[in-house]
Amino acid sequence: MKTQPSSPFAALFGLVFVLSHAPGMNASAALPETAPLPIPVVARFENFTEKDGLPAHKIHCVLKAGDGRLWLGTTNGLCVRQDNGTFRRFGIEDGLSHLTVLGIAEDPATGDLWIATMQGLSRLSGGKFTAFTQTNSGLPNNVVYGVAVAEGTVWAATAAGTGAYDIKTKAWKPYDQTNTVMNEPWCYGIAPGRGVIYLGIWAGGIVEHDPRLGTFKAYRDPDGEFHIALTADSGPIVDVTSGVAYDAGVLWQASYFGLARYDTQEATWRTWVQDKTPLVSNFINSVFAHGRIAWASTDQGVSVTNGDTWVNYQVGKDGKGVVHICRPGQPPETRTMATALSDGFVMAVWADDHEAWFATSNGLSHGLFSSPADQAALTSNP
Amino acid sequence: MNASPFYLIAVFAAASAAAAPATDGPGACAAGGSDSPMVAAAQPAQAPVGAASAPSRFIHSTPGEEYPPYGELPKELWPFSNVEPYFRYFVTRMPFRGPGRDYPAPTDLKSLPIGLVDAPRGGANWERSVRTREGIVLAIEEANRERRPGDLPFDLIEHEGIAQWGGAANLAAQLADEKVLGYLGTIDGTDAHVALRVTLKTEIVMVNTSDPDQTLTETQIPWLIRVMPDHRQEEGRLVELMVRKLGCTRIAVLRTGDRFARVGAHQFMDFARRLGCPAVQELLFTPGATNIPYQIGAIKESQPDAIFLMGEPADIGRFAKQLRQAGITARFFGTDLMMEDAFLKNAGDAAEGTTFTFYFDPARQDPLWTGFVARYEQRWGHEPDAYAGFAYDGAQIMLHAMQLAGPNRWRIRDEVYDLDYYQGVTGWMRFDGTGSNTAPVRVVRYEHGQRVFEPQAEFVPPAFGGTVAHAP
Repeated sequence: MKTQPSSPFAALFGLVFVLSHAPGMNASAALPETAPLPIPVVARFENFTEKDGLPAHKIHCVLKAGDGRLWLGTTNGLCVRQDNGTFRRFGIEDGLSHLTVLGIAEDPATGDLWIATMQGLSRLSGGKFTAFTQTNSGLPNNVVYGVAVAEGTVWAATAAGTGAYDIKTKAWKPYDQTNTVMNEPWCYGIAPGRGVIYLGIWAGGIVEHDPRLGTFKAYRDPDGEFHIALTADSGPIVDVTSGVAYDAGVLWQASYFGLARYDTQEATWRTWVQDKTPLVSNFINSVFAHGRIAWASTDQGVSVTNGDTWVNYQVGKDGKGVVHICRPGQPPETRTMATALSDGFVMAVWADDHEAWFATSNGLSHGLFSSPADQAALTSNP
Repeated sequence: MNASPFYLIAVFAAASAAAAPATDGPGACAAGGSDSPMVAAAQPAQAPVGAASAPSRFIHSTPGEEYPPYGELPKELWPFSNVEPYFRYFVTRMPFRGPGRDYPAPTDLKSLPIGLVDAPRGGANWERSVRTREGIVLAIEEANRERRPGDLPFDLIEHEGIAQWGGAANLAAQLADEKVLGYLGTIDGTDAHVALRVTLKTEIVMVNTSDPDQTLTETQIPWLIRVMPDHRQEEGRLVELMVRKLGCTRIAVLRTGDRFARVGAHQFMDFARRLGCPAVQELLFTPGATNIPYQIGAIKESQPDAIFLMGEPADIGRFAKQLRQAGITARFFGTDLMMEDAFLKNAGDAAEGTTFTFYFDPARQDPLWTGFVARYEQRWGHEPDAYAGFAYDGAQIMLHAMQLAGPNRWRIRDEVYDLDYYQGVTGWMRFDGTGSNTAPVRVVRYEHGQRVFEPQAEFVPPAFGGTVAHAP
């Protein structure tokens, strides 16, 4: 057994990093002049930890609701950031079904929150929690990994299938290996698409379901093997899906084997793996989509991409932020920031055109975007 | 004692070791509190008992270490072996990069809790689960007997399995609520997969002692190892034997229609196809079926020279007999479950010549094994089987990790997951890039109603003077 050699891609990153940090040379001197990036760039991170009132180290998920309030799912309950900047926690004593919150979704019609926990699905409506479990409802299993609300239906991804709850009729419908094309019922993620629902299946790839037509379509790893990705850009990177996201006609697959993207209009797949592409790590806890841009939360930071340009945020050994920027056809750039993510092990992201929030294994980070005009300022080491 | 699902906290302290031999199952262990004075807090990183007195039987990996691909099987058995893939996984072991290793130890611990998920009572794996539990209990009792003044005792927090999809997820989540530092189990592949997913979220390391589903460790989740060799190891060895040494060319497959056999048999058929012998038939049966005339007729029509049987031993033993009665002379092959008496009992004379793979020879005279057999028999009043042996070994790995790391789940994970080699009572283990034991399996044949093991040298790691050769 021998030590793994570093990849050419990593070596290139390293070379640029060394050049940009050599004595007497700042980053801007080593980097080429570039146009503004087609994806948002975080100029500064604000971090929040238990010292700031968070109820736990680990934040599993984050959602900014329509009313502007920020909601966090932690290992010690649900949490909301109040107007004065303090955090308020909700636990079992408040009616939450379990302390470990794995996902949050908002019903755009009512503002109700649906909360995926390790022991049931909770609804927060009018300040009151209601718990749905496999013994008091049609929820397929109590371990709920993900939740989404679309067109009056709540979709809950559980360890034994997906449950669909019709909010008006209060009827549940299960989706598993007995009535869909999924070969295993272990559901890890949910993403509403245009008229369809995408189910991220553990060992079953992605299942596309059209509720109106009642149809199912499976997207599976073409090589069908866990030990290899036979070719690039040929389909889902692997059948073990850890998360899915959809926006603007683009479906993203997160996995612990890399990232994949399906352009639903062109019906084409692209895939990325670490070392051979700019993807910062194969181990992707979740993916968030805003427009045609994906935010991949990994165990080594965050990769942000539109499929062509990449911006990766990592935490350097000195605790400072490290940003890798990859533009098509250009060598990668490495920049440093005075601020960094609260922790490099990132669980989830929420982002819009103005800001991003990062749920990490050790705290919450707020990413404040730079304007395109400000991006050049990032090239200077503070 | 509550019925299913039951919940039990059993503290196995020194006094319990003096208990009379018992034949009770997973539900019968007496509950109670610790019998020892408590210390205020567990001391992290205390040296394991006896650690300085003998060469370590635990050999850990080094960062960035590279492992042979695809379970160390011959390249002919690899998928798409004639081309270099775009990306190859499991060449290095996935690290855990999250925080936690420096989190302070709990100050209110009265014991070191270890979880166990048993099989569902009355299910196909129940008796195997009973033996698994017995091996684990013995290991914990011994560790508690050897603990030094001030050391916290180990507790076993045990849950009986729930016979439904996803049941193990609920139990794994419950174990997290009960603040176990690690857990053991399960036998059932579905349960193990489901629990593993929760394990990643809760960050509690899992040592699987008895699920041979090769896909279990192929998820990149760095919170699991498996101490029992998997179906990939068994079937790779078996297919090589069948095709290369015995010249079988027309292989039929008869299996149950459940996930266990689907995953296992498809791996077997892939191997056979890669060696130029695609299966001529794949027939399914329902577990517990008594007669399968359609399947037997279809197999006979395909004129096989070998039949691979996969399912519960009683079922495939019964069908082996029926296949012979139908005039089919093809040789029978299978995996570890053929070792069980139920196969021999139902197959009768039809078992003659049946060849299968198994993990080790229970008649081996290695002192670690014979010593374990003696202690196990004294404790439980009957002989251990492979499930008991691997459970004992898995528990030893967990206990050793907890002794080294202290009550910190992340550091316990490091000690467990970073193992390269471990010498247990079942022999030396060799963990690959997925965390699965790839120690060579044995070939066994039924001759005159006896199980005859093909001669094979014991695997020994290079550091102990052995070679890394996969098979003889």
